[in-house]
Amino acid sequence: MTTHPEGASPAPGADRRTAPNWIPRAAPGTGRGTGRGTTPGAVVTVVRYLLLDRMMYLVLPWAWAAFGFVLDVVVLRLTPAGHTDHRWVGGLAAVFLVTFTVGVQSVVRALPYALTLGVSRRTYFLGATALAVAMAACFGLLVGVGQIAERATGGWGMHMAYFRVPYLLDGPWYLSWLTASVVFVLLFVYGMWYGLVFRRGGLPGCTAFGAAQLTVLALAAVVTTWAHGWHRIGHFFAAVTATGVTGLLAAAVVVLIVGGFATIRRLAV
Amino acid sequence: MTAASPSTAPTGPTGSAGSAIAVSVAGLGRDYRDHRALSDVTFDIAGPGITGLVGRNGAGKTTLMRILAGQEFGTAGRVHVFGAPPRENDAVLRRMILVREDQTYPDLKVRHALAAAALLHPHWDDALAAELLEAYELPPDRPIKKLSRGMRTALGIIVGLAARAELTLFDEPYAGLDAVARTLFYDQLLADYTAHPRRIVLSTHLVDEAAELLDRVLVLDHGRIVLDAPADDLRGAATTVSGPAAGVDRFVAGRPTLGRTTLGAQARAVMIGRLDARDRELAGHLRLRLEDVGIQQLAVHAAAHPDRTAPITARAL
Repeated sequence: MTTHPEGASPAPGADRRTAPNWIPRAAPGTGRGTGRGTTPGAVVTVVRYLLLDRMMYLVLPWAWAAFGFVLDVVVLRLTPAGHTDHRWVGGLAAVFLVTFTVGVQSVVRALPYALTLGVSRRTYFLGATALAVAMAACFGLLVGVGQIAERATGGWGMHMAYFRVPYLLDGPWYLSWLTASVVFVLLFVYGMWYGLVFRRGGLPGCTAFGAAQLTVLALAAVVTTWAHGWHRIGHFFAAVTATGVTGLLAAAVVVLIVGGFATIRRLAV
Repeated sequence: MTAASPSTAPTGPTGSAGSAIAVSVAGLGRDYRDHRALSDVTFDIAGPGITGLVGRNGAGKTTLMRILAGQEFGTAGRVHVFGAPPRENDAVLRRMILVREDQTYPDLKVRHALAAAALLHPHWDDALAAELLEAYELPPDRPIKKLSRGMRTALGIIVGLAARAELTLFDEPYAGLDAVARTLFYDQLLADYTAHPRRIVLSTHLVDEAAELLDRVLVLDHGRIVLDAPADDLRGAATTVSGPAAGVDRFVAGRPTLGRTTLGAQARAVMIGRLDARDRELAGHLRLRLEDVGIQQLAVHAAAHPDRTAPITARAL
């Protein structure tokens, strides 16, 4: 009954099997490195893994951007123009909402399978963040180039400000590129946080997580009221420039990334 | 079907060579807020072999496998895989795969899930994956979310087998599969293991079905290992004796037993120990029926009477 398979030859007929052409060549060149730590190759492999879901990462944000644009054009066509140079529309916000969702999904759906396939949490988080930064850079570029086109065409011939957002995305194209990129990464990583909480605590966990943040904001508002600090806050935001806001958002991104990195390493999902 | 040689001889926890200890677990515990999932779990897995991790639902099988795969964290003890703790250790994790019964997949098509595994596993065999796809009649272009439960299970099996990871962990891999598909899994597992020997751990509660595959059986109950023995040593290690009560009592006298039931003048007892020709002659003379206790039943007894099955483990080890 018992055999010893050490040194056994391959199964008969194994040499006749042929690989289908839709599976990437399996992979001595996985780029996953040899050490216990994360290598750049391993991060790139995680990015490639995530990009297998092209719909989620390559189609959805751009499709929503296009959909929002078309919708705003239709709405502006149907509504009277008024006497303004800028007809602000909010279609671009859809992209940021989708980005948040993509961040959630990257943890809720894609992380468990990556863990199954032997990716460490650390490497996964770095890979997902790298993908978010790359996507953000492309999206920011779209916003910057869109602004140039928008200004050159008189708001697409109808004074539409789709790629411009008052105060935040209304400066030179490179600043808009930076700001849009930072907001994109911020929402992606924030979404990843919610995804982590969802994996661990489900819907009740997410509800508690959101409620805790609202509670902190409410407490901050109460403290500000007690300390009569609203004037100073008003002055601060009146004084801060779009560049300053971008810097603040970038700082928030760094905090979220560091916090997310620390959390994912300790969380059993 | 055949099984491979058990490989329990420790040769030092280097974890690098084929015969060195690949998995070393010592005093492992896992406490949750309201219960203890694992307690003082200790075992080693050395060279290639198929180890059955057996236990009831909630015995701690999944927790143990997740800790081995670095997905869950122990609260006591030590776990080394290939000579190092697996947690957040890329060098270790890339050499192993854990396929779970309730595996979560991204929103991908079947072929994308296989492509992902091909990206991440250096020994991935795409020809084997294609062969298994065909065998399980799994459409490569179908989104995973539209697969039936059995098809999702089959996908996990394909990923687990074709990855050819040095340490392959299957957690209840055939949930939702019909008997034909399960047999196909056993056949494929054995064929691929024979061609490419490696360490495979299979958690299951269908022990007897998989018994012929196993080199070694680890029985987990309430988070503790209650039996750890080479499968060959378990086959015929216990016998059910039934017949006239007086004859049964005479036959089992002086032997360790796991239980005895009486119905009128008839009795039935489970005794530990191998039978020789004289025993069988005596049983015939006393008009007793003798049946080997299967590994499944032995696991049940081990869970109920870990102290009484200890001699099996002691002899086996």
